[in-house]
Amino acid sequence: MKGLLSRLLGQPWVGSFLAAGLVWLLAVVFAGGHGGGEILSSALAFATFTVIVGLGQMMVITTGPGNVDLSIPATMTLSGVIAMKLMDTESALILVGIAAAMGASFLVGVANYGLIRLLRIPPIIATLSSSFLVLSTAISIGRGLRIKPPAPLADFATARAFGVPFAAIAVAALAAIIGLTLKHTIYGRTVAAIGQNERAAWLAGLDVRRTRFATYVLSAMLAGLCGVLQSGFSGGSALNMGDDFLLASIAVVVIGGTSVAGGRGNVPGIWGAALFMYLLVTMLNIFGASPGVRLVMTGLIIIAVIAVAGSENPRRA
Amino acid sequence: MRKTVFGIVSVGLLVAASAAVADTKDKKIALSNNYAGNSWRQAMLKSWDKVTKPAVASGIVAAADAYTTSENQVTEQAAQIQNLILQGYNAIVVNAASPDALNGVIKQACDAGITVVSFDGIVTEPCAWRVAVDFKKMGRVEVDYLTKKMPAGGNLLEIRGLAGVFVDDAIHSGIEDGVKANPQYKIVGSVHGNWAQEVAQKEVAGILPSLPEIKAVVTQGGDGYGAAQAFAAAGRPTPLIVMGNRQDELQWWKEQKDKNGYETMSVSIAPGVSTLAFWVAQMILDGKQVPKDLTVPFLQIDQADLEKSLATTEKGGVANVEYTADDAAKVVAGASK
Repeated sequence: MKGLLSRLLGQPWVGSFLAAGLVWLLAVVFAGGHGGGEILSSALAFATFTVIVGLGQMMVITTGPGNVDLSIPATMTLSGVIAMKLMDTESALILVGIAAAMGASFLVGVANYGLIRLLRIPPIIATLSSSFLVLSTAISIGRGLRIKPPAPLADFATARAFGVPFAAIAVAALAAIIGLTLKHTIYGRTVAAIGQNERAAWLAGLDVRRTRFATYVLSAMLAGLCGVLQSGFSGGSALNMGDDFLLASIAVVVIGGTSVAGGRGNVPGIWGAALFMYLLVTMLNIFGASPGVRLVMTGLIIIAVIAVAGSENPRRA
Repeated sequence: MRKTVFGIVSVGLLVAASAAVADTKDKKIALSNNYAGNSWRQAMLKSWDKVTKPAVASGIVAAADAYTTSENQVTEQAAQIQNLILQGYNAIVVNAASPDALNGVIKQACDAGITVVSFDGIVTEPCAWRVAVDFKKMGRVEVDYLTKKMPAGGNLLEIRGLAGVFVDDAIHSGIEDGVKANPQYKIVGSVHGNWAQEVAQKEVAGILPSLPEIKAVVTQGGDGYGAAQAFAAAGRPTPLIVMGNRQDELQWWKEQKDKNGYETMSVSIAPGVSTLAFWVAQMILDGKQVPKDLTVPFLQIDQADLEKSLATTEKGGVANVEYTADDAAKVVAGASK
């Protein structure tokens, strides 16, 4: 029993859940002991979006140092704009809209990897510059207009049973699939292997290029999925709907216990970290703290997590 | 009789227009814009096009080109304005990324003999003109409306804008003053909605469970619909939410009104303020005396105007007005008094 407990506590993702629980407790205490259930329910609803993009970002970061996808916010926006525009509030067109949005996201992923591979541009610059193109496309398609989602999509995105959002359950299943993929498939193992040592992975005969290609495409498509879902949830797409997700997508990966240096991904931690980030903001709002304090806290926490996680495992320096 | 009046007015307009043609037909005006990534800015650029294209076609000015930087960055906009100076524009209309960080390059433009008119995001450099919105008053107007609507007072939730932007501070201080003068209101919670429905929805949903009953929500625009959704999702009674002229907000207001007689107000700045700045620049180039500080009225929609405003607002857009040369002359005359 004790062995099991200590093994559990040794998991890198446990910390994020403990931290989430702690800030939740503080928030509820400060709020006078009520509203705990509601706070948790909305934390689940909003963490869902961060988890979707976090999963893609986690896979990209796991492929090794320098790999990051900064085009996530722009891809979300493009996908949301395309989906809402094609659906045009018609329920019959939901699948068409989703298909087109996912197709566009797929192309963004292809373009990102194309820039990285063919033009040999570092991922951080490639994905940042492609996001300008992607956002400009979204602007020219949507012209900044906010089109409402069809009712069934909005209903699905906002539906809850006993306080648990349906979308959260679906995304928990998605996270489980990605977790299993990472641990038990050739593709997943290759991602980790590349992240640990790209050259060794290549010498071992692994298909480095195709794996990285698939990873950038996966990240873009998850961002696209998030864009569609968020548009359904918030009553339409907006050009700035992705703004919140650039820092968030990276933060949940890092806080969740994924190695920033690559080679070691962690799926459950993304959920813990996304809940923690939302609850932290909620707690600071309830305290009446200014947004300055909020940003400082977020920054300090990320630095602290990286410092702790970095010193924990000297074997992989 | 009516026809005669109309005739006189149109002759007057023609005279005014032809007078303008005489003096600014060779002048080139540029719009320097620092951001295009939301519906308000998109509407602002569209209004600019809608008003300046006919102005160029009819020879009032030679050019009225719009330039937008890709990122909301001071350095990028400074470089852009330097280019505009070199390209020989006679006037630069600027929506600035910062009230003071662009002052150096604005001064360079003035020294090169270029008329600089800032609007919305105004600059403090004294050589430039400012077409400013009294954001503080906008915040105050919201509380004043509440004193009429619910004089008994109650708990308020405040949704603020993007932290660190002066507009956010100005609207907030107006609201604060209003609440100070009317102590029956109490701000029991405050979140930053960043003028985005998604963010407002998220932040309100987070703080709501910890709050007592909310009577009204004071906002900054682009956040009212998100707040309404958060209240609905939490299963709480819908308070009076001040709206910000976005079409989805007006639509939601209309639905509530039809259902249960819901009453509120909506206030924001018309994106067409860019066209007012255009006409002000044209007047200055025309040699007219224009005071350096001008104030634009904000666009307020009351219960009685709701249907009319909704009908004229593009689906998914922002309630807007474009200004004419006459409107600009009136604003200038008002400020010269």
